[in-house]
Amino acid sequence: MNKSKARMTFQAAALLVVVTFAAGCASGVRNPSGVPVTEMQADERGFVAGTGIESQDLVSVTDKMARSLVNTPEISQFPGTPRIALDPVINNTRFPIQQDIFLTRLRSLLNSRTQGKMRFLARERMDALREERDMKRSGEYTSSSDPNIQEFKGADFFLTGKLDGQTTRTSAGTSDYVLYSFQLIDARTSEIIWEDFSELKKQGLEDASYR
Amino acid sequence: MPKLSTTAAWLALALVVGSLGGCATPSAPYRPPWTGDPIADGLHAVTNAPAKDKVLWQMITSRSAMFQKDYQLAEDLLDDVLLSIENRYGDDSDARKSRRLFQDEADKFFIGEPYERVMAYYYRGILYWMAGEPDNARACFRSAQLQDSDTEKNEFRNDYVLMDYLDGLASLKLNASTDSNYMRSTNSARLAIPPQYRPSDNVLIFADYGKGPTKYAAGSYGEQLKFREGVSNAFEMKFITGQNSLHLGPYDDLSYQASTRGGRVMDHILANQAVFKSTTDAAGDAALMSGMVLAHGRNTQEVGLGLVAAGLVSKIFSAAATPGADTRDWDNLPQYLTFGTMSLPPGPHVLTIQYLDSNGAEIPSMTRTENIYVNPLPNDTVLYFSDTKS
Repeated sequence: MNKSKARMTFQAAALLVVVTFAAGCASGVRNPSGVPVTEMQADERGFVAGTGIESQDLVSVTDKMARSLVNTPEISQFPGTPRIALDPVINNTRFPIQQDIFLTRLRSLLNSRTQGKMRFLARERMDALREERDMKRSGEYTSSSDPNIQEFKGADFFLTGKLDGQTTRTSAGTSDYVLYSFQLIDARTSEIIWEDFSELKKQGLEDASYR
Repeated sequence: MPKLSTTAAWLALALVVGSLGGCATPSAPYRPPWTGDPIADGLHAVTNAPAKDKVLWQMITSRSAMFQKDYQLAEDLLDDVLLSIENRYGDDSDARKSRRLFQDEADKFFIGEPYERVMAYYYRGILYWMAGEPDNARACFRSAQLQDSDTEKNEFRNDYVLMDYLDGLASLKLNASTDSNYMRSTNSARLAIPPQYRPSDNVLIFADYGKGPTKYAAGSYGEQLKFREGVSNAFEMKFITGQNSLHLGPYDDLSYQASTRGGRVMDHILANQAVFKSTTDAAGDAALMSGMVLAHGRNTQEVGLGLVAAGLVSKIFSAAATPGADTRDWDNLPQYLTFGTMSLPPGPHVLTIQYLDSNGAEIPSMTRTENIYVNPLPNDTVLYFSDTKS
């Protein structure tokens, strides 16, 4: 063995043991660094994402529905101001959702953008409203108008929606399709006077160590 | 002899570095304080255990909360668990590292094996139904069934009886079509056939019993993930109140579900790591033995020492490889799941719960009574019972 060969052998052996040493070190305590709080827009896709229903879907779907609903002739040409009650969205997907969130954003959008062209009825507050009216009727609270007159408004329309889903899961990953459909129903005739939909499909694959 | 001294020097270096590598032992595993209060201990663990084990402790603590009827806490914990399960798509550096040759599988972020994930969705579904949200409950049962898809063996795919059954019942309660849920659930049934739907029943009883499956590592290097079957003295249950009696069988068996999925992708990775470990170990032994023999010869001393060094390096690689399977498990799961419905008038009732053995005989030591309150119609009353209290 000449001198250069011996040096090469030594270097190779040294490299091997260093690599082995480094690998041995990897088994100790790991302190993964955190991720600082990042402020994002609600319609942005964040770095934490799944194939489910997320804020950017909520924003894009309700934006589209609000634009579509405002332009409906039955609403824009309604004699007087239409009164609309919300009926909870039906979730027919595999994702649990907060049921009011779609209609709450839709209502807020319409209220803020249409400036009184339509009125929403606070049906989810009826218990408190009835209690207030009863207190006024009993004279315990003051009233600026005659509390015995029935002034709770009936609905001209019901705004509601439904989320339907279709899922495929194979070794290639998970694919989730969600159909968001919303309807405005005439409370007097039961006719659906407006309907629109939005659809989204997402796919993802988890790391092999989880499969 | 300069050549000999050079060889001896890097041989010594290999030995020193090898022994230093051995010093990098993992830290002691986290142990909760064990105060005797499983919820307090569990919450301590959720906060203080390594981040990779957080979901494991949330799962364990959520079931303890279910036992103690602290449903709000169970909801909070399970919501976090489900977020972790649903959001593990894409590049995951911890998961990627856990597949490496010199990294433990148990270093990855725990989200459980499919049967554990199914149970997280199942319990969350029960809680949604208790809160009067059958559509969100149905969503959970659907996601639970989905966790059991993508099995190696097709015949064991999506075969939880209750997930299909409850999906159908929730749909009926929501005035929607049940599709073929009932037929699918009965096709999957092995131990007992669930009854036909009675959607007008206003009391929904979820129950589970026995001690569920546990994981262990088998194989020469613990590279094979295996499941030890759970145990249960009880096989069936009976609920009695007044003139009403409900006899329920075990519709789902978690040990069966844990052990019939077939191999994981990770099993193949670990098997390859085990082959590497055994090959480098055997090669190291051979090189060391040959080297020591040759080192005694006057003319082969240098070659012999080289072989010894190569053997040592090979042994170091073998020792550093960690093909052990991840055996962290949700250790307070039940063995059997069951469900039934009753029609009861609103108001307070006393419910007698009996457990029956495999011959149908009552196990008197397990019989107990529960005071229940049935909600005014049309609201359903959702009840959950287990044979365990901790």
